[in-house]
Amino acid sequence: MTTSIQENTQQIHLSHKTPWLTLKHVQQAAKYLFLSACGLFMVFPFLWMFFGSLKTNDEIFSNPLELLPQHFHWYNFVETMQSAPFGLYIFNSFEVALFTTLLVLANSSLFAYALTRFTFRGKTAMFSLVMASYMLPAAVTYVPSYIVLAKLDLLDTHAGLILSNAASVFGVFYLRQVFLKIHPSLIEAARIDGASELKILWAIVLPQCKAALTTLGLITFITNYNSYMWPSLVINTADKNLIATGIRQFFIAQGNYGLNWSHIMAASTIAVVPLLILFMISQKIILSGIADNGIKE
Amino acid sequence: MLSVNNKMRQYWQLFFFLSPLLLPLLLFWVLPFICSIYISFTDWDYISPTYDWVGMDNYRYMLDDSQFLQALNNTLVFSLAVVIPTVAIGLGFALLLQKRFAGSSFFRAIIFSPWITPTVAVSIVWSWVFDSKHGLANELLGLIGVPSVSWFEHGNTAMFVVVLVTIWQAVGWTMLFFISALNKIPSSIYEASLIDGCSAWTRFLKITLPLVSPTTFFLLIVNIINAIQAFDQFQILTQGGPGGETRTLLYWFYQLAFQQYDMGSATATAVIIFLITALLTSLNVWIGKRWVYY
Repeated sequence: MTTSIQENTQQIHLSHKTPWLTLKHVQQAAKYLFLSACGLFMVFPFLWMFFGSLKTNDEIFSNPLELLPQHFHWYNFVETMQSAPFGLYIFNSFEVALFTTLLVLANSSLFAYALTRFTFRGKTAMFSLVMASYMLPAAVTYVPSYIVLAKLDLLDTHAGLILSNAASVFGVFYLRQVFLKIHPSLIEAARIDGASELKILWAIVLPQCKAALTTLGLITFITNYNSYMWPSLVINTADKNLIATGIRQFFIAQGNYGLNWSHIMAASTIAVVPLLILFMISQKIILSGIADNGIKE
Repeated sequence: MLSVNNKMRQYWQLFFFLSPLLLPLLLFWVLPFICSIYISFTDWDYISPTYDWVGMDNYRYMLDDSQFLQALNNTLVFSLAVVIPTVAIGLGFALLLQKRFAGSSFFRAIIFSPWITPTVAVSIVWSWVFDSKHGLANELLGLIGVPSVSWFEHGNTAMFVVVLVTIWQAVGWTMLFFISALNKIPSSIYEASLIDGCSAWTRFLKITLPLVSPTTFFLLIVNIINAIQAFDQFQILTQGGPGGETRTLLYWFYQLAFQQYDMGSATATAVIIFLITALLTSLNVWIGKRWVYY
């Protein structure tokens, strides 16, 4: 008797619980399925680009629906690298993006430190000036900036690009917010010990903001590496092109446009891969940096 | 004497901290902005050293210029077509990926990845997908019996492609913002609603949506501002064509300034872009000040 009752209750218990579990499982499975479908859509252009770069053009035109190439034509990359100096373009982009990033990190830190730790006349005006520049679309400045570069004899130079991108209003804005969170007692203590302001910034403030500096650095680097419109206006010499301008030239070149998809895809892959690798290494920092601090682009 | 020295030292220090940023800021943002406004009242053609002051002519001419009005309309259509799906899809992804579970960071990274890649390069890939003769899109449509579309030869379909590419790139970034907003909602509110026996749908409508509304509004505005400044994907995919049907204000500015060298009209167009952006930003600040839940 007792056992049957126990079995009964167990059955009731099970029958009560089983559908719950399955519903949850089905929901879970549906969620993963849906996310996988969306994820596939998001990365599909990258896959399509990469496999396209390993096909022959004949294959592309005869089997346009095939994702995987019949043979992996790695030689496409060699031919693409030979037909335009993509290595040089990537080097140029790295150089410009790296120096711009270093400058932005340095001058935004200095400026944000002055805004948060100094008292001086015109401080509010200074901050308003930065705030106001925040809403300025870059296009409004292009024509006169171009003339300024011409006057400085910096047209068609990487130095001109670096200098003209060196003021990051966003950088000031972001670092100011981070610096405000640092407890002033540490800074006061260092001041009493007679440390110079620069020393305090370097030895006390910056080490506490490594995550923020890394996020700012990565975002500045990526934006400058990818930038196209302004560099395409400033740079005229082919050898000085950044990667975005370089692949655009290759894309519209005679005999390529709409015909030579395999080599165009190889060129796009060459442009995209360094950034995807950088992102794979740093994705944790970038994703949490944006999600935790609420960064504007 | 000591205090004068001290004062000098302080000025030098201030100069040292402020000038590395102020120099490029003044040289490439503030000064050019003022110059742009000035040039917009002239008929300067870039090549000749002289120019005439034409007053409001460049602005007055705009109102009768069908190309400007078309560009203004295209900018509006493009912004709305990009922003509404971007924010809606971004919120959807954020709700799905807000809580940590096995694979959540992987999906976040995947959805965000288009943002970090060069717009020029990925637009080239999309231009192949939508190629009229051998593009994947037409081949897939062919499978279900739809005749192939010449995507870039009609205004609507060309705009659709650019909108799609822009949403694809912007959605991950919007999602991350929503995740940060969702994580700030105190869990006590949800617990209370669970005790009250609210359904998931009511919980979403009555708790989640109102509480993320300031973020939603912020993202709407910022995405509109970004859409107004979109250039790379237009340059690769449509060059403003066909017949100017995908030409936005920014693209029109580019053509006036760097193809027609009509600097007066170009800078006047840029000033209009600035005014629209400034209006949206002020709206953002104004609403942000009086509409914060947490």
